[in-house]
Amino acid sequence: MRIAFVGKGGVGKSAIAGTFCRALARRGDPVLAIDSDPLPGLAFSLGLEISDAPLPDEAIEERPEGERPRWQLATGLTAADAIDRYAAVAPDGVRFLQFGKHRGDTRSLFKSQVAFRQILRELPDDRWNVVGDLPGGTRQAFTGWGDYARTVLIVVEPTAKSLLTARRLSRLSLDEEHPRRVVAVANKVREEGDVELIARRTGLEVVGAVPWDEALAEAEEKMAAPIDLAPDSAAVQAVESLVDQMSEERIA
Amino acid sequence: MRVAVVGKGGSGKTTTSAVVARTLARHGLSVVALDCDSNPNLGISLGVGDFETERLVGMREGLDEGGEEHAPGWDDLISRFGSDAPDGVRLAVVTRIDNPEPG
Amino acid sequence: MIADLEAGIGTLTRLGDQRVDAVLVVVEPTPKSIEVGQRAVVLAKEKQLGRIVVVASRIRGDADLATMEEHFPDVEIVAIPDDPAIVEADRKGVAPLDLAPEAPAVQALCNLARSLLPVPA
Repeated sequence: MRIAFVGKGGVGKSAIAGTFCRALARRGDPVLAIDSDPLPGLAFSLGLEISDAPLPDEAIEERPEGERPRWQLATGLTAADAIDRYAAVAPDGVRFLQFGKHRGDTRSLFKSQVAFRQILRELPDDRWNVVGDLPGGTRQAFTGWGDYARTVLIVVEPTAKSLLTARRLSRLSLDEEHPRRVVAVANKVREEGDVELIARRTGLEVVGAVPWDEALAEAEEKMAAPIDLAPDSAAVQAVESLVDQMSEERIA
Repeated sequence: MRVAVVGKGGSGKTTTSAVVARTLARHGLSVVALDCDSNPNLGISLGVGDFETERLVGMREGLDEGGEEHAPGWDDLISRFGSDAPDGVRLAVVTRIDNPEPG
Repeated sequence: MIADLEAGIGTLTRLGDQRVDAVLVVVEPTPKSIEVGQRAVVLAKEKQLGRIVVVASRIRGDADLATMEEHFPDVEIVAIPDDPAIVEADRKGVAPLDLAPEAPAVQALCNLARSLLPVPA
């Protein structure tokens, strides 16, 4: 699987993506979770206590004069090696890589970003399932951060703004250069007709529906993983079903 | 008077902007509501409707397509690319919506 | 002019010497939102961007308000209560002012707006 979670800010992507990763790993599949959002989110939802897991300086080297981009993975360091060596390890064996927070050192952040993109480009298909969490809104989807993904899951809640964002993301994600499947996951579902509303107003297939659940909000406030804090909650179970369904259908 | 509204996406920024804009307008001020988000939703909170909001053309887009020779003035921009929202608020979207670079 | 800036603080960092009369930093009681809000307040103070107000949204009670006061000491805070009317307006895609003008959250936002009005000389 190579999937990217996108959606309007605040819709609940990180909680769903993190839970998805843990559930997928429990099926025995190797999972690489990636977060290109400078704000912490996915790490906590995975059950990690640190939220900052950038690649260290030793992993990145400067390219010959004049070549662009200026940075690349150190000679001899393959994408797979980089993950084995430097990715943080979350519960259930999920590996985690993040840009790193912007601490005012733009150069270091930029280096880390370039290496991150190289890893995504070069990582062979045969081992890692890659699950990514993009920051809210449309900007990163536009600048190609989701290019690694074969399936884009747009997390949508039944509000006008979220639906409008979903339509925009859908258009941005459908790209002839990178043919991919774009589907929706309904979140904060409260009423009977919500899923049908989302399907109708986005024109997307809704592959999963996560009910409104206090447990997700609580987990976020405690900076903990929903799957650890509330494993029996309706929301967590809904995400587990989503994982089962996507694995069985092999649609990612 | 200039008021800037900031915050994490999903925190209520756009709702706040909209209610403040219309309330100031109701108190007699001439208000321009500027949506600077690369994913603009202010129209919905203002009450112009999601269909209309989706149809709004960003100012940059409008300018690019118009093949402008001279940079238009601010008032000109607002009158050409803005649209009417309730309570006399004038809404303008800054970015290109089909090409959401940072506003 | 009311400018609804890009989510996050990117645009705020690029606001050069433009004077604004007020910066409304909208924060809800979640870790991420608070983090963004804190950075925004720091930036706004550094750039001396006029009056800074933390608009504390979705406040459910004293605990939430206390959290805000703890994370934003020495800043004016206006509390907007958690309000099902706002949720409903969002679901329906209509303006909160039109759907529920008497709702607590809407009233609180209107009061905030009125506090921004220029005082007659």
